[in-house]
Amino acid sequence: MAHQQGKFIAYVNAFTPVELAYAMNMIPIYPENHAAIIGARRQTVEVAQAAENMGYSMDLCAYARCDIGSIKTGISPTWGLPKPDLIMISNSQCGTLAKWFEVISRIYDAPMVLIDVPQSGRGERDTAAEQYVRSQLEDLVGVMENITGRSLDQDAFRETIRLSKEASDLWTRVLETGAVTPSPITVFDQFIAMAPIVAQRGTQVAVDFYKNLLAELDQRVAEGKGAIENERFRLFWDNLPIWPELRRLSLFLEDRGISLVTSIYTWAWANMAVGVEDPLGDWTTQYLYTTNMHMRRRVDAYVEIAEKYHLDGFLYHSNRSCKYVSQDIPEVRRAVTDLTGIPGLIIEADHNDPRLYSPETLENHIDGFLDLISSQRKED
Amino acid sequence: MTIQDAWQPFREALEAPLKKAREWKSKTGGKVVGHLVPDVPEEIIHAAGALPVALEGTGVQITRAQAHIPGYTCNNAMAALELGLRGDLDVLDAMVIPYLCDTTRNLFHIWDHCFPKMNNEFLRLPKRIGYPGAESYLRAEFTRFMEAMGNLTGSEVVESELTESLILYNKSRTRLREAYARHQRQPSVWTAERVQMLIGSSLRAPRADHLAWMDDLPWENNASEDSESRMSLYVRGKIWDPPGILGILDSLGFQVVRDEVVTGFRSIAQDAALNGDPINALVKRHLAATPYPGYHLKPSELVERFVERVRESNARSVLFLNPKFCEAAAFDAPDFQEGLKKAGIPSLVLETSAGGAPVGQIRIRLEAFREMIAGDLP
Repeated sequence: MAHQQGKFIAYVNAFTPVELAYAMNMIPIYPENHAAIIGARRQTVEVAQAAENMGYSMDLCAYARCDIGSIKTGISPTWGLPKPDLIMISNSQCGTLAKWFEVISRIYDAPMVLIDVPQSGRGERDTAAEQYVRSQLEDLVGVMENITGRSLDQDAFRETIRLSKEASDLWTRVLETGAVTPSPITVFDQFIAMAPIVAQRGTQVAVDFYKNLLAELDQRVAEGKGAIENERFRLFWDNLPIWPELRRLSLFLEDRGISLVTSIYTWAWANMAVGVEDPLGDWTTQYLYTTNMHMRRRVDAYVEIAEKYHLDGFLYHSNRSCKYVSQDIPEVRRAVTDLTGIPGLIIEADHNDPRLYSPETLENHIDGFLDLISSQRKED
Repeated sequence: MTIQDAWQPFREALEAPLKKAREWKSKTGGKVVGHLVPDVPEEIIHAAGALPVALEGTGVQITRAQAHIPGYTCNNAMAALELGLRGDLDVLDAMVIPYLCDTTRNLFHIWDHCFPKMNNEFLRLPKRIGYPGAESYLRAEFTRFMEAMGNLTGSEVVESELTESLILYNKSRTRLREAYARHQRQPSVWTAERVQMLIGSSLRAPRADHLAWMDDLPWENNASEDSESRMSLYVRGKIWDPPGILGILDSLGFQVVRDEVVTGFRSIAQDAALNGDPINALVKRHLAATPYPGYHLKPSELVERFVERVRESNARSVLFLNPKFCEAAAFDAPDFQEGLKKAGIPSLVLETSAGGAPVGQIRIRLEAFREMIAGDLP
């Protein structure tokens, strides 16, 4: 269908220059989003098992297992994904995606371009890495031109960048409303509302969506209306959602007066805008120093967020499927609590595979954590 | 010296590398630099006057590390952290963690937080090794690393010193390749376990000493053994894990004709060229090495080249030693196995390390694998 409309399909991940894809008449497709929908629809077990039967270890990212299993079985809440003409990915987000997309590239015999982003040890500037990343972005344009048979339309590119920036700025303002007490939006709402900024930034659809959402949130703030009726605790959510438990967990927390007011995950798309003057340079900086968040910067950000969002506590999702964001959580929790005095709870779960955690155990741990916060309040 | 004694220094260097490093340090006053294999350019550390010591996770009981890193982490990272937390790494003046995967990236952050007084270096290795820009990036990174090592030891590394180190390490690798070749001709004396012990200890002992010790090995007896009954095996993996795996392979009649283990043949396969800039030589050697699973090439070529390497080795079977929780290895294995299947080469994947199968079970699986390939089954 895409080819009939003169368009091409590009598989991408969260931190790739999708604005380029739109300007090149390519439709960006996110296998991660597809997998998340499988998780939220509670179809993980069936499709992930198909991947495991192909030899993919259960220790691998559940998104990858769901996506590969979905290709194998044809089971999909979206009737599958179209075959890619190009697979483009940056490992700024994680190395798992590169390996997962290598598998997809072999399945479809589709070309793959990895934008390799050397991770910084302490976030220090690395001019050699800047040249390396930038040269890969320049080459990516050439690859796209070869596949589509057309040159990059600079006017279309500039317009896409403008729309992307507008959507990103609006999304940032959406997230900032969480700082108001009571918060007019919870992280659960953000998990749903983030779809356009992830998958459609660079389009008018995303801009219109966030304009409407922001208007609604401003209205709620003006009326003093919280997202939950009786906001007693304001917590931070670290890491990806537990997609299969979205509804259960949101009701559980709401029942206890807990509002998850902000999350590092949804903030990841808040500052994605690039300028028209040097978009490749801006992406280079973003991928090297922003999206690739090293631990110290993460701790500093959490300390700042704790104050701005008037947090009572942190919920850290130690996510078996996402080692990249999870492995330093014990150190982050320790450092943030030392610096702020605000407690944090680590809950062991998985973003997509319900076989790897017990919701009852999660709930018990959260209840215990609330007791701790409540007792601290009494002491104060 | 008896034949048995000739192997002893290598065994000691492999089993107690930190004790040996401590002795070296008190004798020479030099700096000791720990590193997590693979692909840390030891020659640069050596040229700076320090002793490089490879650390790996096999056989370390984890008790403290889980308070700092989750249990779904590969044993290599967890064990290094464990050793540090229990004070075993006090001898180190610096630690080098190469960027290979998400776990090594995170481990560096945790390490830097847990051991702020150690000189911690994160070696940023490019993943896109077939891309021309990777070469110039790696050159810049190795140059930065050389400066860092020079700062550590207080001795700026000059080109001639680095070239001297390249010469020494090339000689050592040449000798180790000779030992590897002996395993092919005399597998009962030059067992896989012994030959890999030679390679593993070379990553931990002072390289000049190690090279000298090798002179005492039983090179004189050059008669080829009848190895017809042995089952030729190609091994892909990170480290030889669990401990004792090589002894099991020897005792079951496997003959390791080639391996891609990073503490195995992969570390001795190629020398650095001596006819030019030594940093360039190290970069070119790195990029020409058998790609580590975390490195990226055209995806179809990764499989094709692997199958081709196995074919060239004439191995009749392939063993994957996949560390549990190592995503790069686990993503590769199914397609690599499929490629082998099409080539008519049987293979077995063993998930090793933390939470992996116990040694007894691994022995049974290998025994069954061998019987299946040999057609010995009733």
